[in-house]
Amino acid sequence: MKIDREPVDDEIPTSSMADIAFLLIIYFMVTTTFAATRGLDFALPEEDDSPPVIEKEDSVLIEIQASGELVVDQNPMPLSEVLTYLQPKLEVNPKKPVIIRPDPQSPYRHMVLVLDELRQAPEKGFKEEIRISIPTQREIESFWY
Amino acid sequence: MKLPESRTAAGTIPTASMADIAFLLIIFFMLTITFEVDKTQVVLPKTSIRVEIPKKAAYVALDEAGRIKVSSGEELSASVAGHEDVFSFAVGVIATDPNKEFVLKADENVAYRDVDQIIDALKRAKVRIIYLLSNERTVDDIAG
Repeated sequence: MKIDREPVDDEIPTSSMADIAFLLIIYFMVTTTFAATRGLDFALPEEDDSPPVIEKEDSVLIEIQASGELVVDQNPMPLSEVLTYLQPKLEVNPKKPVIIRPDPQSPYRHMVLVLDELRQAPEKGFKEEIRISIPTQREIESFWY
Repeated sequence: MKLPESRTAAGTIPTASMADIAFLLIIFFMLTITFEVDKTQVVLPKTSIRVEIPKKAAYVALDEAGRIKVSSGEELSASVAGHEDVFSFAVGVIATDPNKEFVLKADENVAYRDVDQIIDALKRAKVRIIYLLSNERTVDDIAG
């Protein structure tokens, strides 16, 4: 007795594979975030219980007011003129430290802007990098003027 | 005269390779995705000078509200109460690796007082170098 049987399809249907693949792509494209992976490097000096006293005449003091305005050696000055002011002083003494003292109420970005500007000194005609010091409030109260 | 039958042009686009292309794209995204140890949402300051931050650097994140999160670079960041906790955390990290780099991810609008306390804590913990995380400063930012 001949029994007719329908042949069983032995293939896996793959027509929806492309749809699933594109859904996965869309998921990764939506969830991928571009992380910031670069920044301004800032070497911290070693803690010194008795750091050398730096006289006012031996350094340049950049004060950042709470409003973000700069006062350089007690002269108000826009950020764009700071390097121009520093150039003749550092030509005489390239190792002269530049001290940045932000007001505690000033926004953080102003300190970063000033630090970034000073770090660009070698690209703007200075022979070497500026020695930058950013004392903390604790250090100012303990050791500095 | 019997003219040969004109072949009708196929009206379908072959899509057999679409799945291959899709899987290649998936593999690309899976390989390039990086997992951040800190997901604190901050507005970063902008700088012209930007150097590549080492992988596995420790993170200290400070948002505009003053909340602090820390991570040694190996796990997701965890909240801490204040700068003294940052000091304890940094001491622990430096004890295992004295040359460990630290990244300060702070919102640009946070008061410098808060940043100053964190930098002071890192200094006291004998951290040697920190990276101030930033975005790129464009020509428009400089002009404005």
